[in-house]
This record gives sequence, structure tokens and C-alpha cells, in this order.
Amino acid sequence: MEFISPASKDEALDVLGRLGPDATVLAGGTDVMVQYLRGEIAPGHLVYIGGLDALDGIAADGHEFSIGALTPHRRLATDPLVLDLLPAVSAAAATVGGWQTQAVGTIGGNVCNASPAADLAAPLLTADAMVNLESGRAKRSVRLADFLIGRRQTAREPDELVTGLSVTPRQGRTGDVYLKVGRRGAMEVALVGLSTRLMLDDSDRVEAVAIAVCSVAPVPYRASEAEEVLKGTRLEAEAIREAAAVLATSASPVSDFRADARYRTRVLGALLERALRMAAERAAA
Amino acid sequence: MNLTFALNGRTASVDVEAGETLLRTLRDRLSLTGAKEGCVEGECGACTVLLDGQPVDSCLLPSMSVARRSVTTVEGLGSVDTLHPVQAAMVDSGGVQCGFCTPGFIMVLVALLRENPDPTELEIRQAVSGNICRCTGYAQIVDAVIEKARGAM
Repeated sequence: MEFISPASKDEALDVLGRLGPDATVLAGGTDVMVQYLRGEIAPGHLVYIGGLDALDGIAADGHEFSIGALTPHRRLATDPLVLDLLPAVSAAAATVGGWQTQAVGTIGGNVCNASPAADLAAPLLTADAMVNLESGRAKRSVRLADFLIGRRQTAREPDELVTGLSVTPRQGRTGDVYLKVGRRGAMEVALVGLSTRLMLDDSDRVEAVAIAVCSVAPVPYRASEAEEVLKGTRLEAEAIREAAAVLATSASPVSDFRADARYRTRVLGALLERALRMAAERAAA
Repeated sequence: MNLTFALNGRTASVDVEAGETLLRTLRDRLSLTGAKEGCVEGECGACTVLLDGQPVDSCLLPSMSVARRSVTTVEGLGSVDTLHPVQAAMVDSGGVQCGFCTPGFIMVLVALLRENPDPTELEIRQAVSGNICRCTGYAQIVDAVIEKARGAM
């Protein structure tokens, strides 16, 4: 195994173009190194991009919010701009492992690792995130919903580098929420995670709503059918019950040592109601 | 591969293997055995060191990724004769029993107190949420900071 530390983004793209599938991109290492040390992956080359400062940073420009791929969870959890405009992303980042993981683990890594339980995926999906990719051949942007194609599978080509994400910030009477269920308050892989972005009109009707979930299917996903149920309602108990039922139908959770499928499905409905109530309070505030 | 980095305030230069972790480099090549190997998956924090002032799990950190950066281990804080204030507080408050987790806790608490000299109990508990102690039940460790270390740095 060879360890390569490209000195620039262009050099990294050259290396990936040359090595293709034989290279594994490494940033904070909190997922890749666990898999490498366990022997779950055996790359010919580890391409370390953690030193490429150009891929690290947060920039807001009107309705466009850009987050560099190497931005660590700790910064997402504490940056005033993210806390204000993407509060659910901040909340999710604050639940990824402990300080040690958040100090080096990155948003690009969380997305590329494509875990069914990826905390950041749910709030990023509700914020219509686009994944920005670059290779020696071309640049392109892919909707996060299309980027996550399966458990630990993404649409990234072997010669491509995820350079960052473009996200729609909260605006107007909007409330963003991320809620995660685990057995304890920290260091948990989500048993169920749910994010919502709720926009209310001046008469407190649901003008727009986005709902995304993780840990209840092979990939985190947008629950579009449940969203449809809620549009135009005033979040009456009946509307939420119906949305929860539709959401439960869309889920296909696994039973494993963390929780069984029935539990995850039941929790999902309760989590939706709680998240919507919190989001409505925040939207009206 | 040759690795050069700042270690406890001095320049260290050492040959390492490509996929080697910083924990192995520190313990096996540089004889710094303060950082401990616990879970090797980022759950227990026993291997915590500071990288440019931030706590990281050295068991998951590729050694080559610290090239030209600054690493502090528990050996860089104090000595047996002159303990660092956080080390002294842990001893005084009974925050040390078997000692295996202690260096990791101390590194995180030092990072916390440098960022925030007067943390609340909640902030202390959140800061050490990536560290596991199976002896103390955490109360004495939190007390060490609240009663002794706050304001001492």
C-alpha cells in the first residue's frame, strides 16, 4: 500500500485519474481508517487530501451556501453562519461521535462514506444539497438524493473528487430540525434520524415542507409522499397521523443488534410529530 | 517513509510505514506510551492526543497526515515532579483509578480549558463524551475540572 499526499487539488485529480479504483481518498480517516485497519478495504493507494486547505471552508452568497468537502463536523456544529442558516446541519454534526471525531471528520467524508446512518445526510437532503465533483475531465454537480445510490455506494466515479456541497439556506418563516434516536445522548449511531425543514405562510399553513430520514433504509432519503400529505395543512393532528403512516410505509428498516425493524418504524412516526412541532415553533418565532 | 512533525515542542523525524497510525508511531517507534490503545475505532478516546490543539484519536490517524503539523501527547504536558494543573486536579479529585483512560481524558480537558477556561458541567460532559472511563463513573473527573482545574490554566 502506498500513501500519497498531493500538494494541491489539481495534483489530487491527476493522481485519481491515474490510479482510478485502486485509490481510496482519505481525509479525516474516521471511517476509512477504521475500515482499513479492520481489513474491510485493501486499497493499493491511500490518497490523503486532508491538507488541501482550498477544500475547507464555508461561504454564503445570497441563496447559495457552499461548504468545502474538508469542513470538519466541529466547525459545522459551532460556526455562527451554519447555526443560523443551516441549524439542522449543525445539530446533526454535533452528534457525529465525540470531539475527537468531530475535529477531523469531514462533511465530504460523511457523504462519501454513504452509511445508511449518515447523520449529515438527512438535514442536507432537506436543504436540497448538491454534491460538487471534479475530475481531470470535467466538473459536475449531482443532487445528494441522486449521489447516494446504495448502502456505502455513491455516484462518484473513481477519478472524481468531491470538492464540496452547495446547500439552500433557511429563509423566511422556516424552521429546520434534526432529531436522532439512540440509546444514550452521545457517541451513538442513529437508530433513527429525521430532519425536517418547514415553511409556514402568514396564516400558519404549511407552504413547503421537506422531510428526510436516515437509518431506516439502505440510504437516507427524502420522504416525498409524506411531504405531500402535509402541504397546505395547519399540521392538524390528523394530518400528522396520516403523514406518519405514509412515512412508515416508505421505510424499510433492518433489524440488527441496535434495534429491531418494528421499533425503528414505530419511533419514526413519533419522531416526525416531534420534529414538525419543533419546526413549526421555530418557523413562527 | 520519512515523517517530520512537531512533537511536544520539538522536531521529530522518524521512518514510518505507509498506513501506520500515529498511535503506533508514538508508542512503538518513539517510546511515548502515554496514549493507550483501546478500541481502535474512535469510540473510547484512550489514544487521544492534540493535533494543532484539537483532540484527535491517534489510533485512527495516519502518521503521514501529521507531517509538518504539531502533536502534543500527555508526556508534553507535565512531569512527575511538576504536574500540569489538569493532571494535579485529576490526582487530587480521585479522577484516576486504573489510569488507562487518564491520558486521553487529560488531553481533552486541556483542549477544553484552553478554549473555554470556565466551562459548565454540561460543557465538560460534552467535551469528554468521546472518552470512556470504566472505573470512576465520571463524577470525579468532572469534579476535578469544576473544583480544581477551572481557572487554573
